[in-house]
Amino acid sequence: MKEKYILEKRIEKGDFNKGGEASSKLKDLLRKLGVDSAVIRKTAIVTYELEMNIIIHSEGGWIRAAISREGIQIFAADDGPGIADLEKAFQPGYSTASDQVREMGFGAGLGLVNIKNYSDELKVDTKTGVGTKIRAIIHLV
Amino acid sequence: MVKKHSVLLKEEKCVGCTNCVKNCPTKAIRVHQGKAMIKGELCIDCAECIRTCAYHAKYTETAGLEDLAAYPYPVALVPPSFYGQFEQTDPDRVVAALYQLGFKGVYDVARAAEAVSLQTIEFLNEHEGMYISSSCPGVVRLIKIIYPELLADLIPFKSPVELMAERVRQELEQQGVPPGDMGLFFFTPCPAKLTTITNPLGMERSYLDQAIAVEKVYPAIIKQLNQEQLTGVAGDGPVPFLGISWGQSGGETTILKRKKTNGILSVSGIHNVKRVLDEIDRNNIKGIKYLELSACSQGCVGGILNVLNPFQAKYNLQRLSSGDQQLVERNTGEYNFRLSRKFKAGDVGKLADDFDLALEKLAQLEEEIKVLPGLDCAACGAPDCETLAEDIVSGRAQRTDCIFVLREQVGKLADRMSELAHALPPVMKKKKGD
Repeated sequence: MKEKYILEKRIEKGDFNKGGEASSKLKDLLRKLGVDSAVIRKTAIVTYELEMNIIIHSEGGWIRAAISREGIQIFAADDGPGIADLEKAFQPGYSTASDQVREMGFGAGLGLVNIKNYSDELKVDTKTGVGTKIRAIIHLV
Repeated sequence: MVKKHSVLLKEEKCVGCTNCVKNCPTKAIRVHQGKAMIKGELCIDCAECIRTCAYHAKYTETAGLEDLAAYPYPVALVPPSFYGQFEQTDPDRVVAALYQLGFKGVYDVARAAEAVSLQTIEFLNEHEGMYISSSCPGVVRLIKIIYPELLADLIPFKSPVELMAERVRQELEQQGVPPGDMGLFFFTPCPAKLTTITNPLGMERSYLDQAIAVEKVYPAIIKQLNQEQLTGVAGDGPVPFLGISWGQSGGETTILKRKKTNGILSVSGIHNVKRVLDEIDRNNIKGIKYLELSACSQGCVGGILNVLNPFQAKYNLQRLSSGDQQLVERNTGEYNFRLSRKFKAGDVGKLADDFDLALEKLAQLEEEIKVLPGLDCAACGAPDCETLAEDIVSGRAQRTDCIFVLREQVGKLADRMSELAHALPPVMKKKKGD
């Protein structure tokens, strides 16, 4: 299926000040579409974690979102180191964030865990040295 | 007709300046034909527009002391913030003054506030997760309209004033006062609380009858306080000084912390409240168990119907509640805390009821946003370009409401006119020298 994105946003590496903009924008769009508030909340959390991951770990990337009657798809694609150990990355508390990032209060090792907990379907495609592509789906009902 | 809102517009004073439009937290105001009209479904009665308006065109209407006459048995419910209006005056003297003004009973909402604090501690101990105080009606309405996903996180208790009012009704009935004779008057610091009388939150009907603006009762009290022989009846029992600290942002927190309840954050001012709720929405607030939120900066002392500036009033409250104070209200069993209705989300923000149509309109919206200059100047009467685009898509505004788009179109038209003016009909000959 060809997707028409309702949101397409470039996320820069280390741009903490803009962290949350994609999530807020998507939340706003979903409200305009009359999407159920519980679904909006899940989407906002997943999107926020996805964009923060790009900011913290990658060399920059994109957040895109599409919607149909079935659900909301959020795509995150980045140029970055990739995730070396995917299994570990899903363990609560595991993080490869730098000390500097941790000092800012990020990188607690809950990002992917939250993404998994709040989405209904999740696909992670990662290649060390190339980048990571994530697709999270949240059902509308 | 049930009055849904308390914030009103004096049309003759409004100059159409858009200051209120830009400062409205829910984007509820549009200047239309030179007047700042409020969209009822979006208004939360937070009074930011009254605060912002330099022309005093926005106002609110409350009852006055003259309305006591309509009730054989009028009683006063005094909110905690009220005592902050008086410097160097003990609450007992304020209460005595109120009796002089014709009230047959004076009750401290601060007592119910203490009870709510105790009940909140119990609730937080029994429930996992993060909860939000529901005592500020401005905040509750903001959540209903912009953050409906957080409605389930509101503490499901009545506000202190409603709790007190319910209890006062019961007490008076026991004393033999016929319910029809009772007139429960509340001294309101803000329009948001006034609105809850006609449009209650989480309940079928309010237990209050009337609200008088603090500024309307203040001069009469000062007059009483200046009379040396002011004596008479004091309040019922010891002054609930700790409950009185609820009148300022952080007051609730003070009581909870005394009872060793941690993880509390207090935030005041509607724009700050929005910022913290945005962070909660993203799950980006960690370690907090309870949020004390107030729509007015500094808490209820910051309400626009008060007389004293919020900082002096806050200081006055702090002076009253300092020292080794104890809770007066220990018996929470006398109150019926639970709200009878669930907080309901406001039905706003949708572009269309039908999903496909909404999606179509969303695409149109993106197009309209591209056409507009993105300066958010508000000269069109909407707070920003995005909102104008939304109004255009919903058929409530036109592209040419934007002065920049209009100017561009006039420019194009002028070019075309000039082109036409210089076009020669084929039968005419060019003049020499042309």
